[in-house]
Amino acid sequence: MGPDRLDRFLALSAELTAFDVVELAGTGESDAYLATVDRIVGTGAVDALLDAHTAISEPPGQARDHQLRHSMLGDEFLGPLARNVIKLWYVGIWYQLPRSWREVNGARDGDVTFTISANAYTQGLLWPAVGANPAGARAPGWASWTEPPRLAKL
Amino acid sequence: MSDTSTNNDTTAKTDDTTSTTAITTIEALHEYLGRAMQLEHATIPPYLTALYSLHPQTNSAANQVLRVVAVEEMLHLTSVANLMNAVGGQVDLTAPGFVPEFPTYLPDGEEDFQVNLACFSPATLETFLKIERPAAAPDEARRLMPARRRTDIMVTAPGDPELRYYSIGEFYAEIERGFNYLHDRHGDQLFSGDPTHQAGPEYYYSGGGELRRVVDIDSARSSIELIIGQGEGVGTGAFDAENELAHYYRFEQLKLGRYYQLGDEPHHPTGPDCEVDWSAVYPTQTNPRVGDLSGFPELQETAVSFNRFYADFLALLTKAFNGEPELLIEAVPKMFEIRNKATVLIRNPIPGSSATHSAADPTPDGPMHAAPTFEMESQ
Repeated sequence: MGPDRLDRFLALSAELTAFDVVELAGTGESDAYLATVDRIVGTGAVDALLDAHTAISEPPGQARDHQLRHSMLGDEFLGPLARNVIKLWYVGIWYQLPRSWREVNGARDGDVTFTISANAYTQGLLWPAVGANPAGARAPGWASWTEPPRLAKL
Repeated sequence: MSDTSTNNDTTAKTDDTTSTTAITTIEALHEYLGRAMQLEHATIPPYLTALYSLHPQTNSAANQVLRVVAVEEMLHLTSVANLMNAVGGQVDLTAPGFVPEFPTYLPDGEEDFQVNLACFSPATLETFLKIERPAAAPDEARRLMPARRRTDIMVTAPGDPELRYYSIGEFYAEIERGFNYLHDRHGDQLFSGDPTHQAGPEYYYSGGGELRRVVDIDSARSSIELIIGQGEGVGTGAFDAENELAHYYRFEQLKLGRYYQLGDEPHHPTGPDCEVDWSAVYPTQTNPRVGDLSGFPELQETAVSFNRFYADFLALLTKAFNGEPELLIEAVPKMFEIRNKATVLIRNPIPGSSATHSAADPTPDGPMHAAPTFEMESQ
Protein backbone atom coordinates (compact mmCIF):
# COMPACT_ATOMS: atom_id res chain seq x y z
CA MET A 1 0.00 0.00 0.00
CA GLY A 2 1.48 3.33 -0.98
CA PRO A 3 1.49 6.46 1.11
CA ASP A 4 -1.17 7.85 -1.19
CA ARG A 5 -3.57 5.15 -0.10
CA LEU A 6 -2.80 5.85 3.55
CA ASP A 7 -3.45 9.55 2.94
CA ARG A 8 -6.81 8.71 1.40
CA PHE A 9 -7.65 6.46 4.33
CA LEU A 10 -6.76 9.28 6.73
CA ALA A 11 -8.86 11.77 4.78
CA LEU A 12 -11.80 9.37 4.89
CA SER A 13 -11.26 8.72 8.57
CA ALA A 14 -11.03 12.42 9.40
CA GLU A 15 -14.42 12.98 7.81
CA LEU A 16 -15.96 9.98 9.53
CA THR A 17 -14.59 10.70 13.00
CA ALA A 18 -14.60 14.53 13.10
CA PHE A 19 -10.98 14.46 14.25
CA ASP A 20 -8.41 16.01 11.99
CA VAL A 21 -5.72 14.10 10.12
CA VAL A 22 -2.95 15.26 12.45
CA GLU A 23 -4.88 13.98 15.45
CA LEU A 24 -5.53 10.66 13.72
CA ALA A 25 -1.93 10.17 12.63
CA GLY A 26 -0.92 11.32 16.10
CA THR A 27 -2.35 8.14 17.55
CA GLY A 28 0.35 6.17 15.75
CA GLU A 29 -2.32 3.67 14.64
CA SER A 30 -2.98 4.70 11.02
CA ASP A 31 -0.99 1.89 9.43
CA ALA A 32 -2.39 -0.71 11.79
CA TYR A 33 -6.00 0.29 11.16
CA LEU A 34 -5.69 0.39 7.39
CA ALA A 35 -3.91 -2.97 7.44
CA THR A 36 -6.69 -4.40 9.60
CA VAL A 37 -9.46 -3.34 7.27
CA ASP A 38 -7.49 -4.52 4.25
CA ARG A 39 -6.83 -7.87 5.81
CA ILE A 40 -10.40 -8.58 6.85
CA VAL A 41 -12.51 -7.26 4.00
CA GLY A 42 -9.85 -7.12 1.27
CA THR A 43 -8.22 -4.22 -0.52
CA GLY A 44 -10.92 -4.20 -3.20
CA ALA A 45 -13.62 -3.40 -0.67
CA VAL A 46 -11.43 -0.79 0.99
CA ASP A 47 -10.70 0.82 -2.36
CA ALA A 48 -14.43 0.98 -3.02
CA LEU A 49 -14.84 2.81 0.26
CA LEU A 50 -11.99 5.22 -0.57
CA ASP A 51 -13.41 5.82 -4.04
CA ALA A 52 -16.83 6.52 -2.63
CA HIS A 53 -15.27 9.11 -0.37
CA THR A 54 -13.31 10.71 -3.20
CA ALA A 55 -16.50 10.89 -5.23
CA ILE A 56 -18.22 13.07 -2.66
CA SER A 57 -17.96 16.40 -4.35
CA GLU A 58 -19.91 18.86 -2.22
CA PRO A 59 -17.92 21.38 -0.16
CA PRO A 60 -18.11 20.97 3.61
CA GLY A 61 -21.59 21.68 4.87
CA GLN A 62 -25.06 20.17 5.00
CA ALA A 63 -25.09 19.11 1.38
CA ARG A 64 -21.85 17.22 1.84
CA ASP A 65 -23.14 15.57 5.01
CA HIS A 66 -26.19 14.48 3.12
CA GLN A 67 -24.12 13.09 0.28
CA LEU A 68 -21.90 11.24 2.72
CA ARG A 69 -24.87 9.67 4.45
CA HIS A 70 -26.55 8.79 1.21
CA SER A 71 -23.68 7.37 -0.80
CA MET A 72 -21.56 5.86 1.92
CA LEU A 73 -23.12 5.45 5.37
CA GLY A 74 -26.49 4.53 3.85
CA ASP A 75 -25.00 2.09 1.40
CA GLU A 76 -25.68 -1.55 2.29
CA PHE A 77 -22.18 -2.66 1.40
CA LEU A 78 -20.08 0.40 2.34
CA GLY A 79 -22.08 1.60 5.36
CA PRO A 80 -21.07 -1.17 7.76
CA LEU A 81 -17.45 -0.85 6.62
CA ALA A 82 -17.48 2.89 7.25
CA ARG A 83 -19.02 2.39 10.68
CA ASN A 84 -16.34 -0.17 11.50
CA VAL A 85 -13.67 2.35 10.54
CA ILE A 86 -15.25 4.84 12.94
CA LYS A 87 -15.25 2.25 15.72
CA LEU A 88 -11.63 1.34 15.03
CA TRP A 89 -10.54 4.91 15.62
CA TYR A 90 -12.78 5.51 18.60
CA VAL A 91 -12.14 2.37 20.61
CA GLY A 92 -9.29 0.53 18.90
CA ILE A 93 -11.51 -2.50 18.35
CA TRP A 94 -12.56 -4.25 15.16
CA TYR A 95 -16.20 -5.28 15.59
CA GLN A 96 -17.48 -8.27 13.70
CA LEU A 97 -19.48 -7.02 10.72
CA PRO A 98 -23.26 -7.23 11.12
CA ARG A 99 -24.94 -10.51 10.28
CA SER A 100 -26.93 -8.90 7.48
CA TRP A 101 -23.68 -7.81 5.80
CA ARG A 102 -22.11 -11.24 6.20
CA GLU A 103 -25.18 -12.99 4.84
CA VAL A 104 -25.13 -10.90 1.69
CA ASN A 105 -21.37 -10.58 1.16
CA GLY A 106 -20.08 -13.73 2.78
CA ALA A 107 -18.20 -14.17 6.02
CA ARG A 108 -14.58 -13.06 5.97
CA ASP A 109 -11.62 -14.72 7.63
CA GLY A 110 -10.61 -12.89 10.76
CA ASP A 111 -13.92 -11.03 11.01
CA VAL A 112 -14.32 -11.45 14.73
CA THR A 113 -14.41 -8.79 17.39
CA PHE A 114 -10.94 -8.07 18.72
CA THR A 115 -8.73 -5.29 20.07
CA ILE A 116 -6.17 -4.24 17.48
CA SER A 117 -3.34 -3.90 19.97
CA ALA A 118 -2.69 -2.91 23.54
CA ASN A 119 -1.65 0.50 22.31
CA ALA A 120 -4.74 0.95 20.15
CA TYR A 121 -6.95 0.87 23.23
CA THR A 122 -5.00 3.71 24.83
CA GLN A 123 -5.15 5.74 21.62
CA GLY A 124 -8.91 5.52 21.13
CA LEU A 125 -10.55 8.82 20.17
CA LEU A 126 -13.19 8.00 22.74
CA TRP A 127 -10.89 9.34 25.45
CA PRO A 128 -10.16 12.80 24.11
CA ALA A 129 -13.77 12.98 22.91
CA VAL A 130 -15.09 12.72 26.46
CA GLY A 131 -12.14 14.47 28.09
CA ALA A 132 -11.17 11.41 30.06
CA ASN A 133 -8.33 9.02 30.36
CA PRO A 134 -8.16 5.38 29.30
CA ALA A 135 -8.61 3.42 32.51
CA GLY A 136 -5.40 1.73 33.51
CA ALA A 137 -3.21 3.43 30.90
CA ARG A 138 -1.69 6.77 29.93
CA ALA A 139 -1.41 7.91 33.52
CA PRO A 140 -3.00 11.33 33.87
CA GLY A 141 -1.22 12.34 37.09
CA TRP A 142 -2.20 12.43 40.71
CA ALA A 143 -5.34 14.40 41.51
CA SER A 144 -6.14 14.99 37.85
CA TRP A 145 -9.56 13.54 38.62
CA THR A 146 -10.35 16.56 40.76
CA GLU A 147 -10.24 18.74 37.66
CA PRO A 148 -13.17 19.07 35.28
CA PRO A 149 -12.94 16.96 32.11
CA ARG A 150 -10.79 18.51 29.42
CA LEU A 151 -12.97 18.91 26.38
CA ALA A 152 -10.50 20.43 24.00
CA LYS A 153 -12.82 20.11 21.05
CA LEU A 154 -15.67 22.12 22.51
CA MET B 1 25.53 9.85 47.68
CA SER B 2 26.88 9.05 51.06
CA ASP B 3 25.91 11.35 53.90
CA THR B 4 29.15 10.62 55.66
CA SER B 5 31.32 11.55 52.76
CA THR B 6 29.15 14.58 52.09
CA ASN B 7 29.74 15.95 55.55
CA ASN B 8 33.45 15.29 55.39
CA ASP B 9 33.72 16.86 52.00
CA THR B 10 31.86 20.02 52.89
CA THR B 11 33.89 20.46 56.04
CA ALA B 12 37.07 20.18 54.04
CA LYS B 13 35.76 22.60 51.43
CA THR B 14 34.78 25.19 53.96
CA ASP B 15 38.35 25.24 55.16
CA ASP B 16 40.28 25.58 51.99
CA THR B 17 37.93 26.61 49.24
CA THR B 18 36.45 29.80 50.59
CA SER B 19 39.34 31.72 49.11
CA THR B 20 38.92 30.11 45.70
CA THR B 21 35.20 30.37 45.11
CA ALA B 22 33.99 32.61 42.31
CA ILE B 23 30.82 33.28 44.28
CA THR B 24 31.55 35.93 46.87
CA THR B 25 28.33 37.90 46.83
CA ILE B 26 24.69 36.96 47.18
CA GLU B 27 24.07 38.55 43.79
CA ALA B 28 26.64 36.23 42.24
CA LEU B 29 24.97 33.29 43.95
CA HIS B 30 21.62 34.35 42.48
CA GLU B 31 23.24 34.52 39.08
CA TYR B 32 24.71 31.04 39.39
CA LEU B 33 21.43 29.61 40.60
CA GLY B 34 19.60 31.28 37.74
CA ARG B 35 22.02 29.66 35.37
CA ALA B 36 21.56 26.35 37.14
CA MET B 37 17.80 26.48 36.68
CA GLN B 38 18.26 27.23 33.02
CA LEU B 39 20.67 24.34 32.82
CA GLU B 40 18.34 21.84 34.49
CA HIS B 41 15.48 22.88 32.29
CA ALA B 42 17.57 22.89 29.09
CA THR B 43 18.06 19.15 29.32
CA ILE B 44 14.35 18.37 29.59
CA PRO B 45 13.17 19.13 26.01
CA PRO B 46 15.96 16.99 24.49
CA TYR B 47 15.28 14.13 26.88
CA LEU B 48 11.53 14.26 26.30
CA THR B 49 11.94 14.45 22.52
CA ALA B 50 14.12 11.35 22.55
CA LEU B 51 11.77 9.57 24.96
CA TYR B 52 8.65 10.23 22.93
CA SER B 53 10.38 9.32 19.68
CA LEU B 54 10.42 5.68 20.79
CA HIS B 55 7.72 3.56 19.22
CA PRO B 56 5.12 2.60 21.80
CA GLN B 57 5.62 -0.79 23.40
CA THR B 58 9.18 -1.07 22.16
CA ASN B 59 12.52 -0.17 23.64
CA SER B 60 11.48 -0.63 27.23
CA ALA B 61 15.07 -0.16 28.44
CA ALA B 62 15.56 3.15 26.66
CA ASN B 63 12.06 4.21 27.62
CA GLN B 64 12.70 3.59 31.28
CA VAL B 65 16.14 5.22 31.35
CA LEU B 66 15.00 8.33 29.52
CA ARG B 67 11.91 8.66 31.63
CA VAL B 68 13.73 8.31 34.93
CA VAL B 69 16.40 10.79 33.92
CA ALA B 70 13.91 13.35 32.63
CA VAL B 71 11.84 13.11 35.79
CA GLU B 72 14.94 13.54 37.96
CA GLU B 73 15.88 16.64 35.98
CA MET B 74 12.48 17.98 36.96
CA LEU B 75 13.34 17.23 40.58
CA HIS B 76 16.63 19.07 40.12
CA LEU B 77 14.90 22.07 38.59
CA THR B 78 12.59 22.22 41.58
CA SER B 79 15.51 21.76 43.98
CA VAL B 80 17.36 24.69 42.42
CA ALA B 81 14.20 26.78 42.65
CA ASN B 82 14.16 25.96 46.36
CA LEU B 83 17.81 26.99 46.67
CA MET B 84 17.09 30.25 44.86
CA ASN B 85 14.04 31.00 47.01
CA ALA B 86 15.97 30.16 50.17
CA VAL B 87 18.50 32.91 49.52
CA GLY B 88 15.94 35.49 48.43
CA GLY B 89 16.43 35.20 44.67
CA GLN B 90 13.83 35.50 41.95
CA VAL B 91 12.53 32.43 40.12
CA ASP B 92 11.17 33.14 36.65
CA LEU B 93 10.90 30.36 34.10
CA THR B 94 9.14 32.72 31.70
CA ALA B 95 12.05 35.14 31.33
CA PRO B 96 13.17 35.67 27.73
CA GLY B 97 15.90 33.20 26.87
CA PHE B 98 15.09 30.85 29.73
CA VAL B 99 14.19 28.16 27.23
CA PRO B 100 17.15 27.89 24.86
CA GLU B 101 16.90 27.86 21.12
CA PHE B 102 18.08 24.49 19.87
CA PRO B 103 20.77 23.53 18.99
CA THR B 104 22.23 25.05 22.10
CA TYR B 105 25.30 24.97 24.23
CA LEU B 106 24.45 24.22 27.80
CA PRO B 107 23.84 27.34 29.87
CA ASP B 108 26.67 26.40 32.21
CA GLY B 109 29.10 27.07 29.38
CA GLU B 110 30.19 23.61 28.25
CA GLU B 111 31.58 24.44 24.85
CA ASP B 112 32.74 21.21 23.29
CA PHE B 113 29.29 20.04 22.27
CA GLN B 114 25.85 21.31 21.42
CA VAL B 115 22.56 19.81 22.40
CA ASN B 116 19.92 19.11 19.76
CA LEU B 117 16.26 18.33 19.85
CA ALA B 118 16.45 14.98 18.10
CA CYS B 119 15.02 11.51 18.07
CA PHE B 120 16.66 8.72 20.02
CA SER B 121 19.74 7.51 18.13
CA PRO B 122 23.36 6.59 18.84
CA ALA B 123 24.40 10.21 18.20
CA THR B 124 21.71 11.50 20.54
CA LEU B 125 22.83 9.07 23.20
CA GLU B 126 26.43 10.31 22.84
CA THR B 127 25.22 13.84 23.53
CA PHE B 128 23.30 12.71 26.57
CA LEU B 129 26.44 11.00 27.89
CA LYS B 130 28.30 14.29 27.49
CA ILE B 131 25.57 16.18 29.30
CA GLU B 132 25.82 13.82 32.23
CA ARG B 133 29.52 13.14 32.11
CA PRO B 134 31.22 12.62 35.44
CA ALA B 135 32.90 15.71 36.82
CA ALA B 136 36.19 13.98 37.18
CA ALA B 137 37.63 10.57 36.57
CA PRO B 138 35.88 8.21 38.94
CA ASP B 139 39.13 7.16 40.56
CA GLU B 140 40.21 10.73 41.21
CA ALA B 141 39.98 12.34 44.57
CA ARG B 142 36.50 12.88 45.89
CA ARG B 143 36.84 16.58 46.01
CA LEU B 144 36.16 18.46 42.82
CA MET B 145 38.88 20.19 40.95
CA PRO B 146 38.63 23.80 39.90
CA ALA B 147 38.22 23.75 36.14
CA ARG B 148 40.46 26.60 35.16
CA ARG B 149 43.26 24.30 34.16
CA ARG B 150 41.18 22.75 31.42
CA THR B 151 40.33 24.18 28.04
CA ASP B 152 38.13 21.43 26.68
CA ILE B 153 35.46 22.64 28.92
CA MET B 154 31.78 23.22 28.99
CA VAL B 155 30.57 25.50 31.68
CA THR B 156 31.39 29.20 31.79
CA ALA B 157 31.00 30.97 35.06
CA PRO B 158 28.41 33.72 35.04
CA GLY B 159 30.21 37.01 34.83
CA ASP B 160 33.53 35.45 34.03
CA PRO B 161 33.83 33.79 30.65
CA GLU B 162 37.38 32.76 31.45
CA LEU B 163 36.21 30.56 34.25
CA ARG B 164 34.71 27.34 32.99
CA TYR B 165 33.62 24.09 34.44
CA TYR B 166 34.40 20.79 32.90
CA SER B 167 31.05 19.41 33.91
CA ILE B 168 27.75 20.16 35.49
CA GLY B 169 29.07 18.50 38.63
CA GLU B 170 31.86 21.00 38.94
CA PHE B 171 29.48 23.86 38.25
CA TYR B 172 27.38 22.72 41.21
CA ALA B 173 30.48 22.22 43.32
CA GLU B 174 31.21 25.90 42.74
CA ILE B 175 27.70 26.74 43.89
CA GLU B 176 28.22 24.68 47.00
CA ARG B 177 31.49 26.48 47.72
CA GLY B 178 29.63 29.75 47.24
CA PHE B 179 27.01 28.70 49.78
CA ASN B 180 29.76 27.76 52.22
CA TYR B 181 31.62 31.01 51.67
CA LEU B 182 28.54 33.19 52.03
CA HIS B 183 27.31 31.25 55.03
CA ASP B 184 30.66 31.87 56.71
CA ARG B 185 30.25 35.60 56.04
CA HIS B 186 26.55 36.09 56.68
CA GLY B 187 25.59 33.20 58.91
CA ASP B 188 21.96 32.13 58.77
CA GLN B 189 20.98 35.52 57.42
CA LEU B 190 22.02 34.08 54.08
CA PHE B 191 18.73 32.20 54.17
CA SER B 192 16.57 35.29 54.04
CA GLY B 193 13.97 33.87 51.67
CA ASP B 194 10.32 33.32 52.54
CA PRO B 195 10.10 29.72 53.78
CA THR B 196 6.53 29.41 52.47
CA HIS B 197 7.96 29.52 48.96
CA GLN B 198 9.70 26.19 49.50
CA ALA B 199 8.28 23.20 47.66
CA GLY B 200 8.45 20.16 49.91
CA PRO B 201 8.23 16.40 49.34
CA GLU B 202 4.44 16.48 49.38
CA TYR B 203 4.58 18.09 45.93
CA TYR B 204 6.89 15.63 44.27
CA TYR B 205 6.53 11.95 43.63
CA SER B 206 7.66 9.06 41.48
CA GLY B 207 11.19 10.13 40.75
CA GLY B 208 14.04 8.56 42.74
CA GLY B 209 14.89 11.08 45.37
CA GLU B 210 13.13 13.38 47.73
CA LEU B 211 12.39 17.02 47.25
CA ARG B 212 13.80 18.90 50.26
CA ARG B 213 12.95 22.28 51.63
CA VAL B 214 16.01 24.51 51.79
CA VAL B 215 16.07 26.55 54.98
CA ASP B 216 19.66 26.38 56.20
CA ILE B 217 23.17 25.46 55.14
CA ASP B 218 22.68 21.75 55.79
CA SER B 219 19.58 21.45 53.63
CA ALA B 220 21.24 23.59 50.96
CA ARG B 221 24.25 21.30 50.87
CA SER B 222 22.19 18.14 50.77
CA SER B 223 20.05 19.49 47.90
CA ILE B 224 23.16 20.29 45.88
CA GLU B 225 24.71 16.93 46.65
CA LEU B 226 21.52 15.21 45.51
CA ILE B 227 21.73 16.95 42.15
CA ILE B 228 25.39 16.13 41.66
CA GLY B 229 25.01 12.56 42.82
CA GLN B 230 22.00 11.76 40.63
CA GLY B 231 23.45 13.40 37.57
CA GLU B 232 27.01 12.49 37.17
CA GLY B 233 27.92 10.49 40.19
CA VAL B 234 30.85 12.66 41.23
CA GLY B 235 33.31 10.75 43.32
CA THR B 236 30.78 8.08 44.14
CA GLY B 237 31.35 5.60 41.35
CA ALA B 238 28.41 4.51 39.27
CA PHE B 239 26.09 4.04 42.23
CA ASP B 240 25.29 6.48 45.01
CA ALA B 241 24.87 5.56 48.66
CA GLU B 242 21.22 4.71 48.06
CA ASN B 243 22.33 2.27 45.36
CA GLU B 244 20.86 4.49 42.68
CA LEU B 245 22.68 4.53 39.38
CA ALA B 246 23.76 8.02 38.26
CA HIS B 247 22.38 9.35 34.96
CA TYR B 248 25.65 8.97 33.10
CA TYR B 249 25.75 5.27 33.85
CA ARG B 250 22.07 4.77 33.14
CA PHE B 251 22.69 6.10 29.64
CA GLU B 252 25.90 4.13 29.32
CA GLN B 253 23.91 0.90 29.72
CA LEU B 254 22.08 1.69 26.49
CA LYS B 255 25.36 2.32 24.72
CA LEU B 256 27.07 -0.79 26.02
CA GLY B 257 24.00 -3.00 25.75
CA ARG B 258 24.37 -4.22 29.29
CA TYR B 259 22.83 -3.29 32.63
CA TYR B 260 24.90 -2.38 35.64
CA GLN B 261 24.50 -4.36 38.80
CA LEU B 262 25.60 -3.42 42.29
CA GLY B 263 29.32 -3.64 42.78
CA ASP B 264 30.17 -2.95 39.12
CA GLU B 265 33.03 -0.61 38.37
CA PRO B 266 32.24 2.43 36.21
CA HIS B 267 32.26 1.64 32.46
CA HIS B 268 32.18 -2.11 33.13
CA PRO B 269 28.61 -3.25 33.64
CA THR B 270 28.17 -6.97 34.22
CA GLY B 271 24.39 -7.27 34.54
CA PRO B 272 21.87 -8.69 32.07
CA ASP B 273 21.67 -7.65 28.41
CA CYS B 274 20.16 -4.24 27.86
CA GLU B 275 18.48 -4.35 24.47
CA VAL B 276 17.97 -1.32 22.28
CA ASP B 277 16.06 -1.36 19.02
CA TRP B 278 17.41 1.69 17.22
CA SER B 279 14.98 1.16 14.36
CA ALA B 280 11.86 1.33 16.54
CA VAL B 281 12.05 5.10 16.56
CA TYR B 282 10.15 7.85 14.78
CA PRO B 283 12.81 9.74 12.79
CA THR B 284 11.88 13.24 13.90
CA GLN B 285 13.17 16.42 12.36
CA THR B 286 16.25 17.61 14.25
CA ASN B 287 15.86 21.03 15.88
CA PRO B 288 12.46 21.61 14.30
CA ARG B 289 10.90 25.03 13.80
CA VAL B 290 7.24 25.98 13.56
CA GLY B 291 8.19 27.89 10.40
CA ASP B 292 9.22 24.66 8.71
CA LEU B 293 5.61 23.51 8.80
CA SER B 294 4.16 26.46 6.93
CA GLY B 295 2.88 24.22 4.13
CA PHE B 296 0.90 22.09 6.57
CA PRO B 297 -1.56 24.24 8.51
CA GLU B 298 -2.98 21.49 10.74
CA LEU B 299 0.45 20.28 11.71
CA GLN B 300 1.76 23.79 12.21
CA GLU B 301 -1.21 24.69 14.41
CA THR B 302 -0.53 21.56 16.48
CA ALA B 303 3.11 22.62 16.93
CA VAL B 304 2.09 26.17 17.86
CA SER B 305 -0.48 24.88 20.31
CA PHE B 306 2.15 22.67 21.94
CA ASN B 307 4.43 25.67 22.44
CA ARG B 308 1.59 27.73 23.83
CA PHE B 309 0.73 24.95 26.27
CA TYR B 310 4.36 24.64 27.30
CA ALA B 311 4.69 28.39 27.82
CA ASP B 312 1.56 28.35 30.01
CA PHE B 313 3.03 25.42 31.89
CA LEU B 314 6.26 27.32 32.63
CA ALA B 315 4.15 30.25 33.79
CA LEU B 316 2.27 27.94 36.14
CA LEU B 317 5.55 26.58 37.54
CA THR B 318 6.77 30.14 38.02
CA LYS B 319 3.67 30.93 40.07
CA ALA B 320 4.19 27.74 42.06
CA PHE B 321 7.78 28.72 42.84
CA ASN B 322 6.69 32.21 43.87
CA GLY B 323 4.62 31.35 46.88
CA GLU B 324 1.98 28.91 45.65
CA PRO B 325 3.73 25.53 45.85
CA GLU B 326 0.37 23.75 45.93
CA LEU B 327 0.07 24.59 42.23
CA LEU B 328 2.67 21.90 41.61
CA ILE B 329 -0.11 19.35 42.13
CA GLU B 330 -2.04 20.96 39.31
CA ALA B 331 1.10 21.01 37.19
CA VAL B 332 1.48 17.24 37.19
CA PRO B 333 -1.50 16.39 34.96
CA LYS B 334 -0.28 19.11 32.63
CA MET B 335 3.00 17.27 32.29
CA PHE B 336 1.11 14.21 31.07
CA GLU B 337 -0.78 16.46 28.72
CA ILE B 338 2.57 17.68 27.41
CA ARG B 339 3.41 14.05 26.74
CA ASN B 340 0.15 13.49 24.88
CA LYS B 341 0.62 16.58 22.76
CA ALA B 342 4.24 15.75 22.03
CA THR B 343 3.45 12.23 20.88
CA VAL B 344 0.76 13.47 18.49
CA LEU B 345 3.37 15.64 16.76
CA ILE B 346 6.03 12.95 16.77
CA ARG B 347 3.78 10.32 15.21
CA ASN B 348 2.98 12.62 12.31
CA PRO B 349 5.18 12.35 9.24
CA ILE B 350 5.84 15.67 7.54
CA PRO B 351 4.27 15.17 4.11
CA GLY B 352 6.76 15.13 1.28
CA SER B 353 9.80 15.09 3.54
CA SER B 354 12.38 12.38 3.70
CA ALA B 355 14.93 11.46 6.28
CA THR B 356 17.95 9.58 5.03
CA HIS B 357 20.58 8.42 7.41
CA SER B 358 24.10 7.22 6.85
CA ALA B 359 24.66 3.51 6.63
CA ALA B 360 26.18 3.62 10.09
CA ASP B 361 23.07 5.23 11.58
CA PRO B 362 20.36 2.69 12.36
CA THR B 363 17.61 5.33 12.54
CA PRO B 364 14.91 4.39 10.02
CA ASP B 365 14.71 6.29 6.74
CA GLY B 366 11.41 7.52 5.39
CA PRO B 367 9.46 10.70 5.89
CA MET B 368 10.74 12.94 8.65
CA HIS B 369 8.39 13.23 11.55
CA ALA B 370 7.29 16.39 13.26
CA ALA B 371 8.28 17.12 16.86
CA PRO B 372 7.71 19.78 19.49
CA THR B 373 9.83 22.84 18.70
CA PHE B 374 9.89 24.38 22.21
CA GLU B 375 10.06 27.84 20.65
CA MET B 376 8.92 30.23 23.35
CA GLU B 377 9.96 33.69 22.18
CA SER B 378 7.50 33.87 19.34
CA GLN B 379 4.56 33.14 21.59
